[in-house]
Parts: sequence; C-alpha cells; structure tokens
Amino acid sequence: MSTTMTITPEPATSDGIGDKPVLRVRDLQVTFTRAGKRIRAAKGVSFNVRPGKMLAIIGESGSGKSVTVRALMGLLPPSAKVAGSADLDGQELVGLSDRKMRLVRGQEISMVFQDPARSLNPTMSVGAQIVESVRTHRTVGRKEAAERAIELLKLVRLPAPEKRFHQYPHQLSGGMRQRVMIAIALASDPKVLIADEATTALDVTTQAQIMELLVDLRERLGTAVIMISHDLGLAASYADEVLVMYAGQVVEQAETSELFANVRMPYTRALLEAIPQVSRPSHSALTVIGGHPPDPSQRIEGCPFRPRCVRATETCVTAPALLEHDAGHWYACWHPVTGDPREETES
Amino acid sequence: MTDTAVHPHAARPDGTKPPGRQGRGVTQGAGSGSPLLRLFGRRLLMTIPLLLAISVLVFVLLEMMPGDPARNQAGMDASEEQVEAVRQRMGLDRPAPERYFGWLFGLFRGDLGQSSVSGQPVADMIADRAPVTLELVVLAFVVSLGIAIPVALMAARKPGGLFDRATMVVAMTMLAVPNFVLAMLLVLVFAITLQMLPAIGFVPLEDGLVPNLRSVAMPVLALAVPLAAFYTRFLRGDLVEQMNSADYVDTARSKGVRPGLVLWLHAFRNSSFGLLTIVGLNIGTLVGGTVIIEQIFAMPGMGMMMLEGAMSQDVAVVQMCVFIFAAVAVLANLVVDLMYAVLDPRIRYGSH
Repeated sequence: MSTTMTITPEPATSDGIGDKPVLRVRDLQVTFTRAGKRIRAAKGVSFNVRPGKMLAIIGESGSGKSVTVRALMGLLPPSAKVAGSADLDGQELVGLSDRKMRLVRGQEISMVFQDPARSLNPTMSVGAQIVESVRTHRTVGRKEAAERAIELLKLVRLPAPEKRFHQYPHQLSGGMRQRVMIAIALASDPKVLIADEATTALDVTTQAQIMELLVDLRERLGTAVIMISHDLGLAASYADEVLVMYAGQVVEQAETSELFANVRMPYTRALLEAIPQVSRPSHSALTVIGGHPPDPSQRIEGCPFRPRCVRATETCVTAPALLEHDAGHWYACWHPVTGDPREETES
Repeated sequence: MTDTAVHPHAARPDGTKPPGRQGRGVTQGAGSGSPLLRLFGRRLLMTIPLLLAISVLVFVLLEMMPGDPARNQAGMDASEEQVEAVRQRMGLDRPAPERYFGWLFGLFRGDLGQSSVSGQPVADMIADRAPVTLELVVLAFVVSLGIAIPVALMAARKPGGLFDRATMVVAMTMLAVPNFVLAMLLVLVFAITLQMLPAIGFVPLEDGLVPNLRSVAMPVLALAVPLAAFYTRFLRGDLVEQMNSADYVDTARSKGVRPGLVLWLHAFRNSSFGLLTIVGLNIGTLVGGTVIIEQIFAMPGMGMMMLEGAMSQDVAVVQMCVFIFAAVAVLANLVVDLMYAVLDPRIRYGSH
C-alpha cells in the first residue's frame, strides 16, 4: 500500500467556522473478489460533507465514485469488503450490521439513482412508493403517510401532486419521475442525499431543472448533497466542492471556484479539455483522453494516471500523495499544471 | 398460439431479455376509449378465426386417420353391402366439405353429434366427463403454484444458500421424471405400500368432499409436481435476477425496506408477469397430460373419453374432444392476456 492511502485530508475548512461536517469519510477501501482476482474499487477515499452543501464526486466510469457512495449506503453486494471509516453525525457506518444499516438507509442517508425510468417500481403507483418510504421509518397511519407524500410531491415541485399520487411511473415524464425519486429520498428528512448520476438520463433542460431543485432543497432543508457525475460542467455550475476520482483514488479536491480557477491535476485538466467548446472551430475533432483507465484488478505502481499523462516523468513511478499544496486545494501530482488550461490548449 | 407478445415480459420463458423491460411499457389503445376494453375486444375477435382454423385442422386430421369407421362399426364379418349401409346411416358417404359444414353448423345449434359406438349424444358425454378433467387441471395449477411460489421466494432470499441449492436439485430431479413414471411411483408408495389412497377410480364430489379429494390426490400430484418444479425454477431465477439487477430493487433497499419485503412487494410483483405467461403457455400441455394420467388412474374424464373414442374410431367423439382441448388452450391464453391488462398498470392505463 502506498502512502497515498494514509493521508487524511481535512479539506476546505477555511470558510466553515462551526460548519461541522455531517459526514466524514476516512480512508474508505472497497475490495471485490471476482473469479479469484482482488479488485480494489476504492483505495483510501476521504472527504467531508457539510450540511447544506453540495459535494460533487467526478470521474470516468470505473473510477470508483459509485462504489464509494454505494459503500456508504450499504448497497454493495455481499462479496464486497469495505474498510476505513464513514462517520455520519457520530455514527460509524462501516461495519454496521445489515439490520442497523437498514435503519440508517432512507432515514439518515438516501439516494437517487441514474435512470428514473427503471428506478421506480412499474407496478406500484407513485403514491404507494412514497408512502412506503414514509412508513418504513415511521409508524404513521396510511392517511397521514399519504398526506406526507403529497407534501413531499409539493416540496419537489411536481405539478398537480394529488393527481400524480395515484398515477403510475410510466404515465410520468423522465423529469417528473426523477422528482418522485427525490421525494422518496427526502421522505424521512435525511442528513445526506446522494444523487448518483441523477440527471445523466435526462435531457439538458430537465437536467438543469433537477439540479436547480437539488440546490434549492439543499439550502432550504440543510441537507448535505453528494452528487456523483462524470460531467465536470455540471459540477462547476452547481457544486460547492469538487472531488475528482481516478482509478479508485481521490486525485484532486477543492472548492469549486478554486478548483476551476486553478486546475492542478493533469487528469482534471484533460477532463476539462474533453468538454466540447462552442468557441472552438466547428468540425474540429473533439479532444479525448488517450488510453484507457487502468484495469482495477492490476496492481498499479506509482501514479495511476501516469500511462495516459502528457506530463509524466520518471518521478511518477513513485505514487504522489494527496496533499494540500495550496490552501484548501488538494491534489496528488508531481507535475501539477500551472496557468489556465484553455490558454495552453489554444496555443 | 394466441398473441401473448402483447406483454413486454412475454418473451421471457426462453430466457431472453425483452427490450424495454421497464421502459415505456406497452402502448395500447393510444386513442379514445378504455384501453382495457379495446384490448379485450381485439383479443376476442382474434380467437374466432383461430378457432375456425383449429376446427378445420381437426377435421382434416381425422379424415386422414387410417381405418374405415363404417367397417369398424359394421363389424369384421359384415358384407360390403352391410358396410355401405352403415356408411350411409353414418352420413360418411357425403363429401368431406359437406360433412365439415354439417358438423360446424351443428356446433352452433348446440348439436355436437352422436357417438357412433353408443349412440349417446356427444354433448351429454362431455357434460359427464368435463368436470373430472376440469377438477384435475384446476387442482394441478393450484397445487403447483401453491408449492412453487413460496419455495421460489424462500430460495431467492439467499441465492446459493443451502435451501436454494437443495430446492434446485429437487426441482431438476422432478423435471427429469415424466409424469406417468411419477404416477406409477405414487401408486407404489401411497396405494400399495402405505395403503393411504385408492390406487384408481374417481369419486364424484356429490359423494363427499374427502372421498373426492382422496380419489384425485394422486393424479393431481402426478400432474402438479413436474409443473411445480418448472415454475419454481423459473420464478426463483427471475426473482434472483430482479433482486440483483433491477434498479427499483435498489430504490426499495435504499429506502430501508426489509429484504423480505423487497422480495415480496417489489421483485415478486414484477416476476409474477413472467410467471403468468408461463402458466398460460402450460395450460395446453397440462390438458394433454391429463390424457395419460386419466388413463393410469382410471379417471372418467375427457382424456379417457378421447382415448376410448380413438380406439373405437368414434370420429364424432374424438373430433369434439380434440377441438375442446385446443379451444381451451386458446381461451386460456386469452384469459392470460386479459389478466396482464388487469394486473399491469402499464397496459391497464395505456401510456397517458
């Protein structure tokens, strides 16, 4: 194990006086065993989430971002081994029994999934699915639970909530279904709401509406939001803090404004460059990151991004530690980028 | 058979994944009027040409049957003239189309013809025999589903667990045993060794519920056990797949719903559509199975009636029995289609 894993960052506390994190994740490790191979999906992930703030976890498919939050929810298959620590308002989540985890899930921490066409049960009415969420954690009567469900539908600004209550998922649009999912997730006023690629399956306009809703709910309810996405642009627009993951590790982390003003990690920069720009000449080839993410079953020597990195040198054979190089800005790189990435690309 | 493809899960028995499993659902009746009623009307209309086609097929098949019913009726020693007289009396001298339409119009009038052996009206014979077969088939379904559903739910709670593996071994064994072999084994154990049940014979319901149930217990088991094994395997597999890969199962888990309830309220609700398809497709097989089982246990049902008719070249009897068996299979699939409509909100409410 390299030194990267033992570093525990305390990121972005500069403005957060008295802003105690509601969730403190430290050195979270997730290992799968598949066909005799050990697959390390998360290798020492650490972060804080503060109430009323939105943290964006960004990375490619297979970077370990979904595995990390699923580990927090206890939603990984039994074959997954989770180590490290995740402190949710004083309660340790790692190693919690299935029974106790079930009380936390939906109550303290809840989740909205990627595809709202699939994440709602097609055979149950919208109302029944919200009522189920309400009654799982509270002993309330059907009528009271139904009232709460309507209230939740109003909270997520679903038009005509009384009518929607009796409808089935297939009768709703994608955006409306995702609002229903958020209503389900908020049923017990959770401290942390995880949105796992929650807007990826939606069209751009709906995506913006759902993101606005999440931002608004975060402020109004004081819920901490963890947003999982592969879309840096989305993170730049809505998140308070950004954490970039690569090959199961955190490679860069800072407040949104700081991170996008001063991208340091070459991987983050490559991701930024991969976003198509209107300002670029039309029909010019899109920028892609060469190569593939490393095979998670293979042991990586040194910096995991090294094989794809344009700045890599001999030094990178030794893994760089995730360190707070600038105030509130953490990254793991021997050769950080300096200056505006756009300028460098255009030249 | 009928158009079961109306349902998104209908293609499931062969293990292929239908497209849009929980996607848009099926767009039925995107116009005015209740989608359910339109569906009902369309399905019902479609069964009419189907039943007519079946009646022609049955008639042609029986025409092609070897042997001469008239000679059979007249006896081996009868002279040509006598056989010819019998042929005329039976109406077999008329051309085939004429006889077919005569039979068909008779059907509409409620005249199902007479047995050429006993002279008894076929309608009376069926009224006598059908309840026996109906009881066997209905009980076989009730018993097989009564075993399969709880067992599959228990097995799916812990896939790969001891109960699951034991269940699968038993199910595989039962699937490999043909029902007539199973019938023999049942007779050996329950009638001969333990002497708990009568080996053969049917006691009508009028003579008491318990004697009736005792008399049908073994034939029902012989029919139900292989079916139960089949349903268990299918349902268990579908449940495990839902639990492992369906997103709404993740949603239910993320709500904190207990695993048993996730399985029952969420996975089973969705798996039940696939099960329903299979049950519908099985009805024909099951009715066919009664022919053999009724013979083994001397049950005076439709299966036995048909077999007896075939042995004695009793065309009117065989024709009606085969037609009824086919019609039952068609209508059963119609009922299954309609049950989807009642159970699945995606069909029940259309797309908007």
